[in-house]
Amino acid sequence: MIHMSEVSKIYENGSSALNNINIDIEKGEFVFLVGSSGAGKSTFIKMIFREVLPSKGTLIINGRNVVTMKEDEVPYLRRGLGIVFQDYRLLPDKNVYDNVAFAMQVIEAPRREMQKRVNSVLELVGLRDKLKSLPSQLSGGEQQRVAIARAIVNSPMIVIADEPTGNLDPDTSWEIMKIFERINKSGTTIVMATHDKTIVDTMQKRVIAIEDGCIIRDEVKGAYGYED
Amino acid sequence: MKIRTWEYFIREVFISLKRNNWMTFASISTVALSLLILGLFLIIVLNLNNMATSLESQVQINVYLKEELSEQKMEDIGQKIKKLSGVEEIKFISKKEAMERFKERLGDQQTLLTALGESNPLPNAFEVKLRAPEQVKAAANLINEYEGVENAKFGQDVIDQLFELTKMIRIFGFIIIVFLALATIFIISNTIRLTVFARRKEIGIMKYVGATDWFIRWPFLMEGMVLGFIGSIVATMILRNSYGAVVAKIYDTLTFLPLIPEQPFLNHISILMVVVGTLIGALGSTISLKRFMKV
Repeated sequence: MIHMSEVSKIYENGSSALNNINIDIEKGEFVFLVGSSGAGKSTFIKMIFREVLPSKGTLIINGRNVVTMKEDEVPYLRRGLGIVFQDYRLLPDKNVYDNVAFAMQVIEAPRREMQKRVNSVLELVGLRDKLKSLPSQLSGGEQQRVAIARAIVNSPMIVIADEPTGNLDPDTSWEIMKIFERINKSGTTIVMATHDKTIVDTMQKRVIAIEDGCIIRDEVKGAYGYED
Repeated sequence: MKIRTWEYFIREVFISLKRNNWMTFASISTVALSLLILGLFLIIVLNLNNMATSLESQVQINVYLKEELSEQKMEDIGQKIKKLSGVEEIKFISKKEAMERFKERLGDQQTLLTALGESNPLPNAFEVKLRAPEQVKAAANLINEYEGVENAKFGQDVIDQLFELTKMIRIFGFIIIVFLALATIFIISNTIRLTVFARRKEIGIMKYVGATDWFIRWPFLMEGMVLGFIGSIVATMILRNSYGAVVAKIYDTLTFLPLIPEQPFLNHISILMVVVGTLIGALGSTISLKRFMKV
């Protein structure tokens, strides 16, 4: 699914974000990415959807070589990925249904399939009764659920989440985590950067810890391992 | 692309035209103005060219004879011309006839003639028609050498002057048109920049969910093209409505001017203007997309 070998990233201003990363993430895994701010988590995440290119090394996502890939192949790489951000990134003038359908519209999915899929993912995240609501009428947790629905509506192989519970209270965070767990159970790989110690410790998933651009720990049933 | 996708694009274009209302208005007006001037110059240049070529294709030489020639002498000259190769028809126009014609042409401005009194300064002449225009120059040169011939004219001076004028208007028009086209492209690219800015969030999301670059580009490209298209339609309509009126006005005073008839000339100009307008719109968008959106 995700294969990184000897991947390094040095930004144009000379700062080194990742240093000689070797990692394999297999289909169906649930991986937490932990580390202090500025450790390189975001760079790691952004590389997966090719927002950032490695300066060195090999990076293969869903069988596609991200480094040698041509610009016009990038959209097809991203269609195999679902991306969830801390700040939801919904379109404020579109309602819940349209926000989710938008992701299918831009890849020109057939209309009938679109209706079926959008309804079914909104059912999965528990927003079946809020189809017509605008993002501004929803709570933070609900908005993040819309964003998750949008990320999975095209049935991606991998869902990448960058601090998805960063803006949410503990109870709401748990609801969100349950949704991710459900998505993971259906076989989708999940890679999640997080600062939430309780979640990481309780869920007992694989934990990759990054510090100063290097992987310092990779445990199958890991814990957060930091004292906040 | 699917039909539904085009529907989506068109909807997006109209939302954005409405959102940028003032810039939309400014863009359409500049396109219209620029194209109106382009069309105007085209019409003038093409008409002058038309005049020049229609004069050039006239296979006629006017041979003006010297004063005080005897009837016999004039007859001889006529015979000589008739025998030249390429001459199709020769007609004698006497001083008197020439004056009659001149009076006719002056129409209601007869008073000009009173200055002449009873005298008639017009010479006796032959109108010589040739079979082919390329023979005109050589024949005229030959006839010029005949004894008793004042001169043989075939309108070369007028043609040369017309072509000279056309050339000048063309250069002048070209400079103005280039300048206006640049201004138009600038205005349109600014309008599209506003649209890109208003939709940057949407563009970001489109990229994350795997929209192709062309899917993202099309609505912006189409918006520019719609601006160019509407502007050119406005310009075309103004031009079409005024051409007829102007031509009629010119014919009122200058009956003999060979102007290009409205159809299909105006249709060709209109099509050209609409195509150019739409292309300018597309170009404006492309510049904006290249500079402000990395897609």
